[in-house]
Amino acid sequence: MTIRPNFASLAAIATLAVSGAGVASAQSTLEIVKERGHLRCQVGSPSPGYYMLDTEGNWYGLDVSVCQAVAAAIFGDPTKLEIQSVSTQSRFTALANGESDMLSRTATWTLTRDSQLGIDFLTPNFYDGQGFTVRKDSGITNAMQLKGAKVCVTTGTTTELNLTDFSRANDLGISAVTFEDFNVRDDTYVNGGCDAVTGDKSSMAGNMAAFPVPADHMILPVTLSKEPLAPAVRHGDNQWSDIVRWSVFALINAEELGITQGNVEDMRANSKDPNVLRMLGAESNLNEGLDLEKDWAYNIIKAVGNYGEIYEKYMGDGEQGLGIAREGSLNALWTNGGLMYSPPMR
Amino acid sequence: MAIVKAVNTPARAAPISETSLVGWLRKNLFSSAINTVLTLFMAFIVYLIVSGVVVWGYLDATFVAENRRECFDNSLTGACWAGVIDWFDNIFYGRYPREEIWRINFGGLLLALWMAPLWITRVHGKILVGASVVALYPFLAGYLFSGGDKGLFVQVMVAGAILAFVINMANVVAGLVRNQSLDRLVIDLLGQANAPDKTQRNILLGLLAAGFAAAFLWQASWTVVGVSWTKWGGLFLTLVISGIGIASSLPGGIALALGRRSKLPVIRVLSTGFIEVFRSVPLITVLFMATTMFPLFMPEGFVLNKLVQVIIAVVLFNACYMAETVRAGLQAIPKGQFEGAHTIGLGYWGTMGLIIMPQALKHMIPNIVGSFIGLLKNSTLVSIIGLFDILLMLRSISRDVPWLGLHKEPLIFGAILFFIICFAMSKYSRHLEVTLSAGNKH
Repeated sequence: MTIRPNFASLAAIATLAVSGAGVASAQSTLEIVKERGHLRCQVGSPSPGYYMLDTEGNWYGLDVSVCQAVAAAIFGDPTKLEIQSVSTQSRFTALANGESDMLSRTATWTLTRDSQLGIDFLTPNFYDGQGFTVRKDSGITNAMQLKGAKVCVTTGTTTELNLTDFSRANDLGISAVTFEDFNVRDDTYVNGGCDAVTGDKSSMAGNMAAFPVPADHMILPVTLSKEPLAPAVRHGDNQWSDIVRWSVFALINAEELGITQGNVEDMRANSKDPNVLRMLGAESNLNEGLDLEKDWAYNIIKAVGNYGEIYEKYMGDGEQGLGIAREGSLNALWTNGGLMYSPPMR
Repeated sequence: MAIVKAVNTPARAAPISETSLVGWLRKNLFSSAINTVLTLFMAFIVYLIVSGVVVWGYLDATFVAENRRECFDNSLTGACWAGVIDWFDNIFYGRYPREEIWRINFGGLLLALWMAPLWITRVHGKILVGASVVALYPFLAGYLFSGGDKGLFVQVMVAGAILAFVINMANVVAGLVRNQSLDRLVIDLLGQANAPDKTQRNILLGLLAAGFAAAFLWQASWTVVGVSWTKWGGLFLTLVISGIGIASSLPGGIALALGRRSKLPVIRVLSTGFIEVFRSVPLITVLFMATTMFPLFMPEGFVLNKLVQVIIAVVLFNACYMAETVRAGLQAIPKGQFEGAHTIGLGYWGTMGLIIMPQALKHMIPNIVGSFIGLLKNSTLVSIIGLFDILLMLRSISRDVPWLGLHKEPLIFGAILFFIICFAMSKYSRHLEVTLSAGNKH
C-alpha cells in the first residue's frame, strides 16, 4: 500500500516529461529564443580568427560576429547572446538536442554532415582550403617539388586524409609527421623538424604571422581541398534557418550596397537607392516572412558592420586581425572575383 | 701486571676527511676514477639544463610587452612571459566579470579564515569547525560566486553559514584568550556556570536562535549580481570542481566501503556494483556520458547545467576510488579490535565510528592524499568537454591574436602552479602522518 504514492508520483513525472517534450517541439526555435530572452550560439574552443577570448574574457572573431548579427536581428541587441563553447566531439549533438540554437564555428559543410546528422548548413561565411607553408630558402615554389618531403600536419581532421590523398594522387611519397596541437606542429616546422606544414590556408596565414621571422616563409598557391565554413541549425525549422541564413546574407548585401556600421543611419534616412531602403526597413516589408522587427537588418549592420568590415577586423589588417589578404581570395565579393554573393533582398 | 689508566682518553675530534667539505666531496663524489668522471659528466649536464632554463626563462625573457611580436623584437630565443602576465585574470578567474572578482577572493579568504582554527591548538571544538566547513560554507560560497536572487532555502543556508562563521571566529578568540570553548565562555560570562545543565542549554539555544534571526535579517538586506556558471573558469573553476570532489569523495567513499563490507545483501551488491562500474570506466568517458549522452535522454530543449553534471560525475568517480582505499584501510584492522569493541558493548556504528575508522583512516592518509592530488590533476580533463578550467584557459592564450602561437610559457606556468598546490598537499599529509602517529611508532 505504501508503494502506490511512489508509482503515482513517478507516473506524474513521466507525464510531465512527455508533455514538456511535446510543448518544446511544438514551439518554433524563434519563439523559444524570444521567450528565453537571449540566443544560444555555439562556438568551439578558441580558434584564431573565428572565435577567440581576449584578456577580459570576452569572445571576439568572425564567427562570433555572426552570432551577434543573429542576436541583433532578433532582439535589436547583440549582447542578448550566450556564446557556448562546446568540444568538437559533442558539437552536433549539442545542436541536435536543443542545447544550442545555432552553430557558428569552423565546421566544413559536407554532404554527409548535411544529410545524416539532422542539421542544416546555411550560407558559408568563410571559404577556406588546405595548402602548404614552406621556407622561402628551401627553393620550393610548387607543391610537386615536395617529393619525399616531411610534412607537419595535425591529426583528427580531414587535413591528414587530404594530404595522403594528394600525395598518392601525385605519387609524391610525402611522409606525414602528425601533431595534436597546431602550436607544436608550427614549432616543429620552425625549428626544422619538417620541410612543410599543411593546414587550412587562412589559419596558416594567421599562424605564420606569429612565426619569429614571418618573411622567411610562404604559402604555396596549390589548394588541396574545399572547406566552406558555414553556420548550421537544426533540421526541420525552416523559419529559423531563414533567419540565420538571411542574417549572413544581410552582412554580404550591406557590403555590396556600401552600407557600413558608420553610415547605416545616414543611409536609412537619406539614401535614394530603393535596395538600401528596402533592406534597412524604410520601405516595403521584408521582415514579414521572417517574423522579425522591421529594422532587423538595420540592427545587424548597426551592431557588427557589414561582411567586409568584419573580415578586416578579425581576418584582415584590423587591430585584432590575422592579416590575411582578402583581395583575390574566395572571400572577396563576387564583384571582385570572390564567392561572397547575396541573393537580392526584395 | 695490568696497566690501568685511571682517566678516560679524551675523545679526539673527527678526522678532517669526515667533517670538511673537501672530505665530503672526496668521499661522495670523487672516490674513484669512474666516480670522478661520472660526477663531472653529471655536473656538465646539470649546468647545461640550468643555464639553458635561466637564459631562456629569465635572462632573455620578456616580461612586459603588448603582443608577441614585441617579445620577438626583444629576443627571438627568450621566453615571452608578458602574454601569461597579460592573461592573469583569465588564468585565475576565467571569464568572471572583472568588477565582481572580489567575490571570488572574498570567498577564498572566508574559507581560509574558517579553516584556520583547525590548525590552532588552543581552539576548542575542532570537529564542529570541520563539519561546518563541509556543511555550511558551500552554500555561502555558492551564493557568493553565483549570485542572483536568493530562494528561501538559500536564504536559510546563507544565514546559517554567516552565523556559523561568526560563532567560529568568536570561538577562536575565546580559545586564544581564555583557552575555553565559546559556549563555556558565554555561560561563565553570564554567571550561569553553576546552573543546571538544562538551563545552560536553553540559554545557548536562545542565543543561537537570536543570532540566526539577526543573520537572516541581515542577509535579506543585500544581494549580489548573478553570474552565470558559464563565466566561471581558470584556476577558480579547477579549485571549485576539485574542492567539491575532495570534500565529498571521502564521506562518499566511506559510505560505499562500509556498504561493500555490509552483511545486508542488497546494500552490498549495490555498493559493489556501483564501485565496479564507475571504477572500470575512464573518467573522461564518465564526463562524456554526463555531458553528451545524458541530454539525449532528456526532452528536447532541456538544458542542464553542465558544471553540475561534471561535478556529480567527478564526485561519483572519485568516491569509488576512495571506497577502495577505505576498504583497504578497514582490512588492515585486526579482528581483535572488532571483537574488543563488541565486548565493551558497542554496536555497529559505535564500533565503526569510535574504534575502527579512527585507526583505519590514520593508516590511509598517504593513499587518501594521493587520491586528492590525483583528483586535482584529473579535473583538468573537463577542458576536453569545453569547460574553461585552468588548462583550457592556458591553451587559449596561444589563440588570442596578440599572443598567437604562445603555448609553451602558459603550460610551464600552469605546471609550476600545479606543482606548488600538489607539493603543499603532499607536505601537509606528511606532517599529518607524523602528528597523528606520534604515539605509536613501530
